[in-house]
Amino acid sequence: MEDNIKISIPEFPVKQGFFKLFREMFSELKKSRELIFRFFIRDFRARYKQSLLGIAWIIIMPVSFIGVFILMNKSGIINIGEIDVPYPVFALTGLTIWQLFATGLIGTTNSIISAGSIVIKINFPKETLVFSSLAQAFFDFLIRMFLVALVFIFYKVSPSWQALFFPIFFIPLIILTLGIGLLLSLLNCISRDITNVVGLVTTFLLFLTPILYQKPAVKLFENISRYNILVPLVTGPRDLILYGRITNPAAYIGATVISLLVFLFSWRIFHLAEYKMTEVI
Amino acid sequence: MEATSTTTETIISFKGVSKKFRKSLKQSMLYVFQDITKNIFGIPARTEILKPGEFWALDNVSFEVKKGETLGIIGPNGAGKTTILKLLANIILPDKGSIEIEGKVGSLIEIGAGFHPMLTGRENIYVNGAIFGMSKKEIDKRMEDIIEFADIGDFIDSPVKYYSSGMYVRLGFSIAVHSEPDILLIDEVLAVGDLPFQNKCFNKIKQLKNASKTIIIVSHNLHLMERNTERIIIMGKGTIDSVEKPVDAIDKYLFYLSTHESVKHQTEYLKEKQELSSFSDDVCKNKKNYNNNEFRYGNGKAQIIDFMILNNQGKEVTTILSNETIIFRMKVKFYQQIEKPVFGMEIRTSDGFRIYGTSSYYHGIEIKPQMENDIVSVEFKMNFSLQNGNYFLYAGVSEFLNDEVIPLDRRVDFIYITVTSKNNDTGIVNLNTQIEIYYEALN
Repeated sequence: MEDNIKISIPEFPVKQGFFKLFREMFSELKKSRELIFRFFIRDFRARYKQSLLGIAWIIIMPVSFIGVFILMNKSGIINIGEIDVPYPVFALTGLTIWQLFATGLIGTTNSIISAGSIVIKINFPKETLVFSSLAQAFFDFLIRMFLVALVFIFYKVSPSWQALFFPIFFIPLIILTLGIGLLLSLLNCISRDITNVVGLVTTFLLFLTPILYQKPAVKLFENISRYNILVPLVTGPRDLILYGRITNPAAYIGATVISLLVFLFSWRIFHLAEYKMTEVI
Repeated sequence: MEATSTTTETIISFKGVSKKFRKSLKQSMLYVFQDITKNIFGIPARTEILKPGEFWALDNVSFEVKKGETLGIIGPNGAGKTTILKLLANIILPDKGSIEIEGKVGSLIEIGAGFHPMLTGRENIYVNGAIFGMSKKEIDKRMEDIIEFADIGDFIDSPVKYYSSGMYVRLGFSIAVHSEPDILLIDEVLAVGDLPFQNKCFNKIKQLKNASKTIIIVSHNLHLMERNTERIIIMGKGTIDSVEKPVDAIDKYLFYLSTHESVKHQTEYLKEKQELSSFSDDVCKNKKNYNNNEFRYGNGKAQIIDFMILNNQGKEVTTILSNETIIFRMKVKFYQQIEKPVFGMEIRTSDGFRIYGTSSYYHGIEIKPQMENDIVSVEFKMNFSLQNGNYFLYAGVSEFLNDEVIPLDRRVDFIYITVTSKNNDTGIVNLNTQIEIYYEALN
C-alpha cells in the first residue's frame, strides 16, 4: 500500500534526484506504451475518415515535389549535378528519409497544443502525445518506402545488400526528431510562434541539406552543411541503400552522439516542465 | 471490526495548499519560461512568492477526506473549486503546502475530454479508457458494461461529433466510473444529462460509495449536493469558508452569497445589524420556544419580528398535540419597499432532516407590494401530523427580483417545537391509523 500514496509538493520534479527522475521517465514511458498506441490509432483513423483519397495523400506529396524538381532541372532553373543513379531514385530515397524528420517535427511540435482540453483536464503522461505523433510520421515513412521500392523496380536499380542494415542506421534520425520535437512541443505551449518557425525552418533546411541535389554548389551552403548534423543522419542511411556505404562515418557517429544527447536533454526538460505546461496552454 | 477501521482511514489530505494564477497571458508566458529555465539547472522556482500580476487562487487550504466519504464543494465562480480538483487529479502542482493521496484518482473535470469527434463512441472508449489508465484487456472486459450504462443505443458506432451533449456526458461518465478509480472527482458535469440519467449517475455514485470509493463533487446544484453528499465545503475566495453538514450547507451558502460575510462571522454580523437598530423590533427572542442557536441570514430589508403558535382554541402553545390543527403566525416588518415578497416555512427534525416545507409561492399566492414600515402577519394553518418528538421550525421572507429569490430574512431552526402523542406509534409522521379487526366466523 505504501507506494500507492502520491505526494505532491511545489516543484516536485526538480526536487527529485537527477537519476531518480530519469528512472521515473523511463518507467513512465514503459507504462504508457498502450496509451501511445491508442493515440496513434486514434489520430490515424481520424485523419483519413473524412477524406476521399485517404492514405494516398501520403505519397502524392513527395511525388509532386520531385516532379517539380525534375521540371526545374530540365528547364535549367536549377542544377542537380552528376548522380550515379537515376535522379528520381536518388531524390525520392533521400526525400523519404528527410520527410520523417520534417513531418515528424511538425507533428510533434503541435502534438500538445492540438490535443485540446485533455492536457488541462486529465492527468496522463504528456510525452505520449509527442511519441504517438512521431509514430504517425513513422507510419507515413513506411508507406512512402513502398513508393521508393516501386521506383527502384521501375528504373531497374537494385539497392545494395548493405541496405539490410538500414533500420539500424535510421534510428539516430528518429531520436533526433523526437528530441527536438519534445523541446519544441513544450516551447509551443508557451509561445505559438514556434509552429510557424518550424514550418519555415524545415523548408529552409531541406534546401540546405543535399537531398534533392548531390553537392552544394555555393561555398556558403557547403560550410553550413558541414555543421548541419542532419546531413550525415539523412545522407548516411540514403547512401547505405544506394551505394552500400556511409559516406562520412566520422560525421555520422558524431551526429548520432549529439542526437542522443539532444534527446535525453529535451526529454528531461519536457518531463520537468510537464506540470507547468498545463498552466500556460 | 474491519469495516470500522476502513471508514476512518484518511485517503486525501490537503495541507496548507496554495496555488497562484496569473491574469495576463504574456506574463504567464514569461514566468513559465523563467521557471523552466531555472528547473533546467536544477533550481526549484520560488513558487511561494507572488510576482507582479499573480494572485492566490487558493490560499492556505487544508482539509481531509476519509475513505468511502462523499464530499461536496460549493462556492461562487472563481472560488477555487476546480483548482482543488485539478490539484487532486495531479494535473497541476501546489505552489505551497502538500497533498497526499492514496489510491487511483479518476477525474471527470470535463466530461468527454479526449473524445475525438471523428471517431465512433466505441473507438473513443478505447482511447479514453487508455487515458484513464486501463489496458486493452480491461477495456474489452468492461466494454459491455460501459455501453450498457451509457445507454445511447446505435449511436455507439457513430462518430462522436453527431452526439447530443447529453449522449456525450453519458458516455464520458460511463467510461470514468468503469475505470474503477478509488477516488472519483466530478466537476459540474452531471447537470447536462437528463433526469433519468442523473438518477442513474447518483445511484452509481451510491454503489461506488458502498464499495468504499471516495467521491468529491463540485456543483452549483445545491439540492443535488444536499441529497448526495455527507459533508460540504463552502469555498470563499480561494479559502475554505466553512465545512457543513449537507442540510445546513444551503442556508449557510446563501448567507455567504447574500452578505459576502464568512459563515463564521454570522453572530457578529447579526450583532452589527442589531446595533444598527433594524433588528430591535424583534420580540422573537422573548418567546419561550425561541432557539438561541438559530442561523439567521438575509439582507434585512424585511424581518420576522414576532411569531406565535396557536392551537385550535386560539391559545398560544409551545407544545403541540400530535395531529392537532395549529396556526403558525409570523409578523413581518418591511424596512424598505419590496415589490414581490414571498413567505415560507419548513419543519425539520432535530438532526436536520427536512420533513415538510411550504411557501406562499408554492401555493400560488401573489403578495401585494409592501412599503417601508408596513407590517404583514402571515398565518400557516396546518394539521400537525407528526409523532411525538422535538422539531425545529424554520421561517423566512424573501423577495422575487428578476427571476431570482433574494433572502430578506431567513431564520433557520429558530423555533423549538415539542410534539406529544397519546399513542405509542413510532416514526416521525402520525398517519392517524385506525386499526379495525374483524373476526370472520368459520361455519
